[in-house]
Formats: sequence, C-alpha cells, structure tokens
Amino acid sequence: MTPSELAIPRPLRTLFGERGFIVLTRFLALAALVVALSLLSPVFLTWGNFVVVARQAALQLLMSAGLTVVVLAGGIDLSVGAVLALAACLGATWIATGHIAAGVAAGLGVGLACGLANGVLVAYARIPSFIATYGMLWIAQGLSYAFTKGNVIQGFPAGFRIVGTGFLGGIPVLLWVGVAVVVLLQVLLHYTVFGRSIYAIGGNLSAARRSGMPVRLRLAAVYGLSGLLTGFAALIVIARLNSAESSIGEDLLLPAIAAVCLGGTSLFGGAGSVTGTAIGSLILALIGNGMNLLVIDTLWQNAVMGGIVLLSVVMDQLGGARLLPGR
Amino acid sequence: MIRSICSRALFLCGAVALALGTAPFAAQAQGKKELTIAFFVKNLSNPNWRAARIGAEKAAKEQGAKLEHVAPTKPDNIEEQTRLTEDWLVKKPDGFVFVPVDFKALIPAVQKAIDAKMPVALYSNNMPDVHGVVTYVGSDDTTIEYEVSKFLFKKMGGTGKLIHIDGNPAAITAQQRKVGFEKALKEYPGIELLASQPGQYRRLPAVQVFENLMQRYPQIDGVVSANDDMAVGVVEALTTAGRANKTLVVGIDVIPDAAALIKEGRLFASADYSLHDQAYIATTALVKHIRGEKVPKQMILPVKIATRDNIAAWEPKMEDRATPNYAAVVAAQQ
Amino acid sequence: MSARTDSMSAARHRMPDWLARTPGAFYVLAGMFLALSVWTPGFFTRANLTNVGLQVAVLTILSLGMTLVILTEGIDLSLGPVLSLCGVCAALVVVSGHGLALAIPAALLVGAACGLLNGALIALAGMPPFIVTLGLFGIAQSIATVLTGGESVTNLPAYFRWFNHGEFLALPMPIWGLIACFALTYVLLYHTRFGRYVFAIGGNRQALTLSGSPVNRYHIAVYVYAGVLAALASFIMTARMNSAHPTVGVGLEFDAIAAVILGGTSFEKGRGGLIGTVAGAFAVGVLRNGLNLVGLGAEWQVAMIGVVIIGAVGLDSWRNLNA
Repeated sequence: MTPSELAIPRPLRTLFGERGFIVLTRFLALAALVVALSLLSPVFLTWGNFVVVARQAALQLLMSAGLTVVVLAGGIDLSVGAVLALAACLGATWIATGHIAAGVAAGLGVGLACGLANGVLVAYARIPSFIATYGMLWIAQGLSYAFTKGNVIQGFPAGFRIVGTGFLGGIPVLLWVGVAVVVLLQVLLHYTVFGRSIYAIGGNLSAARRSGMPVRLRLAAVYGLSGLLTGFAALIVIARLNSAESSIGEDLLLPAIAAVCLGGTSLFGGAGSVTGTAIGSLILALIGNGMNLLVIDTLWQNAVMGGIVLLSVVMDQLGGARLLPGR
Repeated sequence: MIRSICSRALFLCGAVALALGTAPFAAQAQGKKELTIAFFVKNLSNPNWRAARIGAEKAAKEQGAKLEHVAPTKPDNIEEQTRLTEDWLVKKPDGFVFVPVDFKALIPAVQKAIDAKMPVALYSNNMPDVHGVVTYVGSDDTTIEYEVSKFLFKKMGGTGKLIHIDGNPAAITAQQRKVGFEKALKEYPGIELLASQPGQYRRLPAVQVFENLMQRYPQIDGVVSANDDMAVGVVEALTTAGRANKTLVVGIDVIPDAAALIKEGRLFASADYSLHDQAYIATTALVKHIRGEKVPKQMILPVKIATRDNIAAWEPKMEDRATPNYAAVVAAQQ
Repeated sequence: MSARTDSMSAARHRMPDWLARTPGAFYVLAGMFLALSVWTPGFFTRANLTNVGLQVAVLTILSLGMTLVILTEGIDLSLGPVLSLCGVCAALVVVSGHGLALAIPAALLVGAACGLLNGALIALAGMPPFIVTLGLFGIAQSIATVLTGGESVTNLPAYFRWFNHGEFLALPMPIWGLIACFALTYVLLYHTRFGRYVFAIGGNRQALTLSGSPVNRYHIAVYVYAGVLAALASFIMTARMNSAHPTVGVGLEFDAIAAVILGGTSFEKGRGGLIGTVAGAFAVGVLRNGLNLVGLGAEWQVAMIGVVIIGAVGLDSWRNLNA
C-alpha cells in the first residue's frame, strides 16, 4: 500500500467494501450534481429535461459498453470511435435503401470483425492493447474515409428510427435499450463462466493462465464482444441522427473513457462494472446538460470535463480504492 | 541465427516495399505535357470537401490537367498540413490549389512554396499576409454568415428569440462566421439572443446541445447554425420534440440532407458556400495562369441562399452539378 | 540500451546481442528508407531529407520525455496540449513586447508546472496516470483556448523564427535542439541517480517505497521533465508556424507513444531505451513522408499508418515469441 493509502482511515472502506465505496461516492456525486443543477436551473427538474438527459446518458452508455468490457479484462480499446464510424457507415448504406436487416447485420458484423481483429492481435500476437487498438483506430478510420469518400448517408425508414427517437410506455426507447444492455451485460459478467473469467484475466493474468483456462481464446472473445457492442451502438447512433458519415467517431473516444472511469472501473482491469459505466454516463450527460442549461462559456467546457474526471478519481483515492495493481 | 535475422529483415523490407509499391504512384510530371496540380482540402470527412474535389476534378478535366488530392490524415491538423505542403513541394507538381487549415499558422509553409516558384491559388480561406498568390477564389466565411443571418432576421420580422449554435471554437471558420453573425445581430436590435453554445460542427453534439437548450427555453423563434451538419441535427431535435413548425433554422453549406429538408420546408434556408464552384474556378484559374494567361488576383463568388423556392438548383448530385461560367465570374470582378 | 531481465537475456544468447535487442522500428525504418530511396524520386534528396528531419524534430523531443514516463510504467496524454499551451504562452509574452528573456522561462515554467501537477497527482496521490494526464489534457487545452480566444497568436517578432530557421554549422536549429535534448536525456537516464530511479520505479515501485527511498520526488521529476521537453519542442513548433495555435499539438502525444513503443520500450516492467525511441519517431516521420511522396490516396494513408504501426510492433512480438 502506498503511504497515502495507509493514512486514510479504513472504517468507511470496510463498511461498504471496496467497490461498494466507489459506488457510494458515485451516487453521492450524482446526487450532488442533481441538487446543484436543480437549484441553479429552474428547468432542470422537468420531465422534458429528464427525457433529454436519459437519452444522452443511454447513448453514452451504449458507446462505452464495449470499452468497459475490454477494460475489465485489463486492456484498453482506442479504436471504439473509429470502429463505430465504420460500422455506422456500412450499416447505413443498406438501411438507407430499406434493407434494414442487412444493414443491421452489416453494422454488427463490422463491429465484431474489428473487435476480433483487435482480440487476435492482443491475445495471440501479444501486441500491447494500446498499440493494437491504436493501429485499428487508424485502419478503421481510413476504411471509413475510403468507403464514404466524404459522403453523408441519410434518410432511414421510420421503423428503424424509432429506436433513437421513439417512446415506449412513455419512456424513451433509447432508455429501455440502455437498461436492457446493462442487465444483459451484468448477467453475462457475473453469472457466466466467460464473464467471470473476464474479471479473472483482468485481475491477475498470470494466475488466470496458470488456472488452465483458455486465456487467449477468452481474451480475443472479449475484444470481439466489445466490437459487437460498438457495432450495436453505431446502429443506435445512426437511428438517433438519421444519418451517417465518417466523422461520427471523432471525439467519441475520450468521453467513452471518461464514462468508464467516472463509473469507477479500474483502468488496470479486474474491478468495476457496467452499472458503474451507466452511472458514469449519467454523470457525463448531466454535466453536458448543465453546461448548456447554464450557458457556460464555450471555451471553458473542456476544462470542466477534465476537472470533473480528475475529481472523481481523487475521490476514489481518498476512499483507498484499488485502482492500481498491488497498491 | 544471422541468416534467420537477415532473412527476416529482408522479408520485412520486401513487405514494406511491396506495400508502398502497390500504392498508385504519383504521375511523373516531368516529361509529360499534362499538368499535375496538387489539390488541398482540410479533411477527409466533411462532405463539403468532397464537393470541392469534384468541382476541381471537373475543372482539371476541362483544362487537360491531372489532379492529385491532398488531405491531412488527422482532420484539420495544422502541423500535418504544414508537412504536406513541404512534402508536396519536393514532388514538384505544376501548381497548388490550396485551402489553409488555419490562415495564420500555414503562412510560412505557403510562403515557402511560393518563394520556391510554385504557383499557388487559394480558395475558401484567404491568406492576406502571403505574397505572390496567383489568385484567391472565395466566399468569405464572415459574409456568408452575415447574409444568411440577415435573411433569417428579415423573415422573423426583426424580432424574436434566437439561439446561435457555434462550430468548433478553435476553428478559424467558426470564429469568422461568428463575426458575421454578430454583425447581423447588431443591425437587428429587436432580435434577442438567448444563448450561443458550441455544437463542434458535428451533428450528434449539436443535437444534444440543442435538446438541452430546448429545455431551458420553451420559446425559440430562430436558430442560426454555423453549418448544415448541425442545422440538420437541430431540425431533427425540434422534430422529435414536436416543435419543428415553431422555429426557423438556417445553416451553411447546403449539404444533400439539408437540401432535402429545405425542400420539405423543415429547414428554412442555407447559404451556399459552394466549395464546388470555388474549387472549379480556382483550378481553372491556376491552370490558365500556368499556361500564361492573366487571371484576376481575387474572385469573390456571390453568396447564394437556398430556400424552398430555389432549392431545385441544388438537387442534382454533386457529380452532375453545373459548373460556373469562368468567363462570367472573371467579368463580374470588374 | 539496458535493463532486460535475466530470463530474456538467456533466451537471447543465441543471437548476437545488438541484433537481438534491435527493436522492430529499426528494421521498419531501414526497410522504408531503402524502398523509398530506390523507388520514389524525390525522397533521397537533400531538400526532402532535411524536411523529414525538421518535421520529426518536434515529435522526437516529445517522445524522449514520453520514454521516461513510460519507463516508469506511466503514460502522459497531456503532452500535446501542454506543447500548445507553452507555445501560446511564449508567443503571447513575445507579442506583448517582453522579449525572449521572459518568454523562454515563461514557457518552461508552464511546461514544468503541468508536469508537476501530473506528477504530484500520480506519485503522491497515487492516481492512475491515464486519467490524470487525460484530465490535464482537457484543462491545458481549455486554458490555451481561453488565452487566445481560439485564434492563432501571430505577428511574432522576426527573431523568433530562429528556433526553426536558424542554422549553426550548416545544421538547422531544430536538429541541434533534437541533439541537445537527446544528449541531455541520455545523460540523465543512463548516468545519473535520477535515471536509475526511473528504471527502478518502472521495475518495482513498491520495493523502493518500502525501502524508504525518496521515490516520490523522482517520480514527479519525470513528469516535470516531460513537460519541460514539451516546452522546448513548442519553441520549434511555434517558430515553424510563425504563430501559436491552441490546438497545434493535439494528437502528437499519441504519435509520441507510438514512437516510444515502436522503439522497443514496453509498458510493462520498464524496459527500453532512448535510441529506440528516436528510431521509432523517425520511422513515424519517414512513413508519413513516404506515404505523401508515393502519392497514396489520403484515405488509404490513414489505414496504412495503422497497418505499419501494428506490423512493426507485431514483428517485435513475433521475435519475442520465437526467440
């Protein structure tokens, strides 16, 4: 343990358990944000605003779900944005002409393929995930440019668009989708052998290897799953926007990482959850919503984001959370 | 072991050479009568630059020149465009048709090219501090936003509540368009500016920003959006919220989906930046200059505002779009 | 180059040492250099090679600092915006008439301060470097944008251009800057206590802490040094553009990380070296220059860069697995 950790009193930590403490701080952060925004802006606590925030949070969650899974397994995926763009552009081409099923398959297929490619590079070729996914970022982005040649694909059938903009029982469809994904992933991660092995691989790779599990296969599968989730997110994004272009993926990576970290998932793997990412996405959406409602000067918005990400991790450290191996 | 290392190294050299060798080679400009022009754009993803490339290709074909397309791999990257300018100077094409990612930061690179006797024509963003440019063809960012904002304010009857969706704050086009917007705003004191927030020139951020703003401002009469990508997003957000017929939205660029919305009456208007036309004129002028003709130092293209009435002109695909009349444009400059 | 573990050395004893240790970057660099010189007119010319050297100077200086950071098992995502910020500060000072005597220390101070913030949060508060430097990325970016209102700072006095255009003994200043920074970093890393701590922190920070060594100050110093190097690189960059723009450095940090890893320094267990980093940075520079000269369509250039990065590191992995 680092000296800083030793100095922190442990009762809070032991009371809630390590992850429990993080979840607690996140909820406190959420609560603080909600209270502050309610006081600062009269329109914050309205149903209309809730719908808006819920949609944005759900979308951010879907875009960060794949990354969460990879980070849990101890890796990083820098190609999320670019793969999303590629899947979106390819899927959109079919969907725009009315072939929804083909488009969906294409989008998911592209995501899966890129994910598996990442997985093979990381698990079998033993290339560090930073480099493998960084390379994939360039490759996917280049393919998007080459495929679309700067064109925008637009005009999707209403039946497809309903996912991004429709309501089901008064609640935005997007929110239902987000919740469903969270539930499915939680079940996968905690109640299946594959899911639990993700934590094992992320937590202690050498122990995982020695335990006899097919680590390389599982690790490759994790990246494949991440790619699939990204492909799914791509379809949701284009349903939301009613268009697809090769630049969709730019600027998606950093918020995705922020959502994962704000959710308390350790960047070194083995600890965290998709629920955490959901909370992190909600926090990000609230911040964005707040900055617009309060009309915060454009030029400072980057700093606000950066500052909040830092703050959240500081809080984790104060709680003595295990964010780094062996510390 | 040594043999194994050498064979691996050789294999690698071969692989890399093969990879580079299978790439299409640049035309060897020396010894061929056909001129080679390097055509620069700011990025690979914005549909406007695609329009520019198509316009330039048409001009090149008419003038009997070959076009090489140059774009930074990282969108709008200053350092990369500087490098591209230097690298292309080494390749010695017959001329550059150039648009700077940042009109101040690229000055040394462009001046260096001009000083090395490379003919350079600028389009879209002028670089007033560079000496020796063959010609500048453009629509000014400031003028465009000024005209389209005025157009909206007139339609609003000079009063109403307005939202301004800005582009990426660090981008020069965003700043210049904002200047134009503010100029127009001053002329219409009855228009109340509720908020100005950045949409980063992209659709998704613009949708989310506008959704948030709609919560705060139940009544919005007009929206000035710094580009169409965002304007279309704003219209989508309005439609989802059921407020589409209460708010007039204007954008810039007249991209295909914006044109479709204008036709449906959901987007009020968009100003044509017409990179297609600018690129066409600039390329034509540069080739003529290289061949010894005199060309005007500056060619400003008029701002065209697309509305439901005249949207037909924007409907054909970019490849089929009519090219401007070069002689007429030159004559209009007198 | 040093610090490989014993088991690796044992596996290597069949290969000549220097050959075995050479990271993939050297092969890729040599391969590209050869292919381009033979097949692409204009590559092997004085003008072009000078260009490449100048173009790569900034990236290489940045990568030197990044090497040290990665050797300590860290990462610094903020170096790009920090470079922009230092450039902006220097330019603003110079434009307001205060001259280089104030501009240089101002920029160095800003770089050091950013590094200090990074280092303090990482070493003292124990926060993950990825997050800390990511946060600082946003903060530095914002400050630079606010200071300039988003525009370029121009009208720099003519003497500022010396950082890029000046020559000494027929070599351009950026090359001298590169040589000087490399020499300084080399000495620091391989011949001082600071350097030994850098390797040790990467190797086993816990052991150091428990043994009572003053680990924290050296750990912080690594990030401060990286920030200072970013400031030095910013002079060259600002002089090259004859202006300072708040986003000019964005993206360089990823290139620097790629250069360091291409050069053989690994994220785990602090292995690697400076010469490899320089080779990696030059490989990146030659690759981009080569792709431009060859005339590969820009879209395919983007994809190609990814392929080469993966290929070069993959080559290293393959050798490690088969050695």
